[in-house]
Amino acid sequence: MTRVGLIGNPAAGRDIRRLTGGASVVDNYAKRRVAECVLAGLTAVTEPPNVQIMPDRAGIADHARDESPDEVDASILEIPLEGTAADTRRAAARFREDGVAAVVVLGGDGTTRDVACEIGDVPVVAVSTGTNNVVPSAVDGTVAGVAAALVATGAVPEADATARHGMIEARAETATGERRLSALAAAELSSRSFVGTRALLDPGDLRGGVVSRAHPGDVGLAAVAGAVEAVAPDDPGGVALRLSDPAEASRTVRAVLAPGVTATVGIESIERLEWDEAVRFDVPDGVVGADGERELELTDTTVELRVVPDGPRLVDVDATLAAGADAGALERTDPLPTTED
Amino acid sequence: MGEIDLQSRDGRAEALRRMLTIRAFDSEAGDRFADGEIPGFVHLYIGEEAVGVGTCAALESDDYIASTHRGHGHCIAKGLDPKYMMAELYGKAEGYCNGKGGSMHIADVDAGMLGANGIVGAGPPLATGAALSIDYQDRDQVAVGFLGDGAVAQGQVHEAINLAATWDLPAIFVVENNQYGEGTPVEKQHNVDNLSDTAQAHDIPGLTVDGMDVTAVAEAVGEARARARAGDGPTLVEAETYRYRGHYEGDEEPYRDEAEIERWKDRDPIESFRDRLIDRGELTAEEFDEMEAEIEAEIQAAVEYAQEADEPTPDEAYDDMFAETPPEIERFATVARTDGGER
Repeated sequence: MTRVGLIGNPAAGRDIRRLTGGASVVDNYAKRRVAECVLAGLTAVTEPPNVQIMPDRAGIADHARDESPDEVDASILEIPLEGTAADTRRAAARFREDGVAAVVVLGGDGTTRDVACEIGDVPVVAVSTGTNNVVPSAVDGTVAGVAAALVATGAVPEADATARHGMIEARAETATGERRLSALAAAELSSRSFVGTRALLDPGDLRGGVVSRAHPGDVGLAAVAGAVEAVAPDDPGGVALRLSDPAEASRTVRAVLAPGVTATVGIESIERLEWDEAVRFDVPDGVVGADGERELELTDTTVELRVVPDGPRLVDVDATLAAGADAGALERTDPLPTTED
Repeated sequence: MGEIDLQSRDGRAEALRRMLTIRAFDSEAGDRFADGEIPGFVHLYIGEEAVGVGTCAALESDDYIASTHRGHGHCIAKGLDPKYMMAELYGKAEGYCNGKGGSMHIADVDAGMLGANGIVGAGPPLATGAALSIDYQDRDQVAVGFLGDGAVAQGQVHEAINLAATWDLPAIFVVENNQYGEGTPVEKQHNVDNLSDTAQAHDIPGLTVDGMDVTAVAEAVGEARARARAGDGPTLVEAETYRYRGHYEGDEEPYRDEAEIERWKDRDPIESFRDRLIDRGELTAEEFDEMEAEIEAEIQAAVEYAQEADEPTPDEAYDDMFAETPPEIERFATVARTDGGER
């Protein structure tokens, strides 16, 4: 029986950007409802896939299983639970090993990145519930469920529904050894000394970095790059940016750096990168971020960033639904059940 | 900027020093209590140091804090002197409350420390009151109310937050989620996964930060302070942390196992911050050991001072209770001074 994996991150969407920017709170009640919607979406196809759900302590998985439609056999994945991002990675690895046909991720760029690191070639439907979201789509959970069902059942061929996203690898040598970090859409350099509350807060702290995609409609460094040069998510390579004080920069752009934060950003240089082409940034004292979150504290070193072609296969929800309709997968030829008064 | 600037080298060293001072003070307090030298109860802050220090780092020196029953760390973070704190634990006249408060009632209003508190959830109403006074007198301070995860279910906490939110008072509510309300796990006490979600009910921002990372707490409280001073009202900051010792000294802790404690110790707030400063090249292991030894000596001196200090006399029993002593209390006090409280 075809199976779909479901990962809902209870921690996504709760960081300091609710205080410093305009990000909204997505509470667990809302996430439970979205998970329930995904399962309802799976029933759009004639023979809905089974679903396995990552466990959590917020009741998202329990609720989804308890409220699952009769046609969907829903169960909870048995993995040890830590209440951290390790749960997401562990669940993604299990889904890959168990051969699920597609996985639906409820979270932000951070959650999607954690999945991407482990999910291999399994098609990923990423639904936005986090803050700094470039990669996941702000799509209704039910619609995402339909797309997952169409891909998982083969009604829409994977090749027509998915595109391979890039990843950015960061590497630095420190006194205590090599440090590495992966990012999905953007690896940023911040001049702040510490990871602190994780979110990249002040536009003035942003020194540059590398993006695997760029569009002015994105959020964060991908939006800065996108204001100058658009790069589609499945275009090869990426863009390297070095930023400077807008008053001294040869070029300045307005870009959305976070929800509620539109800033003038000075660009010192911008260059297109091929796959695997390395760029280096000196870091006297700062933090390397991944997808809008400060992750790696560094001093007196150089960080090397490169875009690599081994990101997740992301499902294009709109294209998948259109292809599904074209293929007749959403038409019912069997007689409808009769209703009795 | 705050009292301790974590963007400066000196500020980072000071934050480390205060966290170490808390740990040394509370380790010693636990030992002295076990030896029967300290009367009453003590609740130790070991493991939670980054929350108190991170919070107070982001405050100005004249800002207010209202503490909890687990208040030693808040006192040290706010800059109180361990010598007079230890004297208070020992019930000595040189203590912050002249020896009549003890561990759960240390206060130093001049330093902005409005008091530890034996009542669960009693800090937030004090903080809201202090914030109202700031607002009323048009001063530029803020007031922080510390509370534990258990206190989030207390009625007066929500009365305090509601009033501060409704009147846009310059208050910050810092929830120290140390995972247990006495012996009850947090998930068995509350229906929300993150205690910061309760902020939504009051239409104020709520966020959850890593309470084992002093930089995270300081940054969150710093942003909350800026919001409060901008006239935008209170913020609720939940810091996820852990107490290594029992709820009280002597707690047999049937509700948790050693493996869980060890998992949290792997993220120890002092050791991790020390390692980050060593990685930055601004601290050596030897310098850390020296700092630890200096602090240990300071705490030993505080214990000796407390041991040798005088106890308050019975005829002081009715002093220090009110700003202006009511006539009835004055009568009791007169009797006590006349016959030494014998009658």
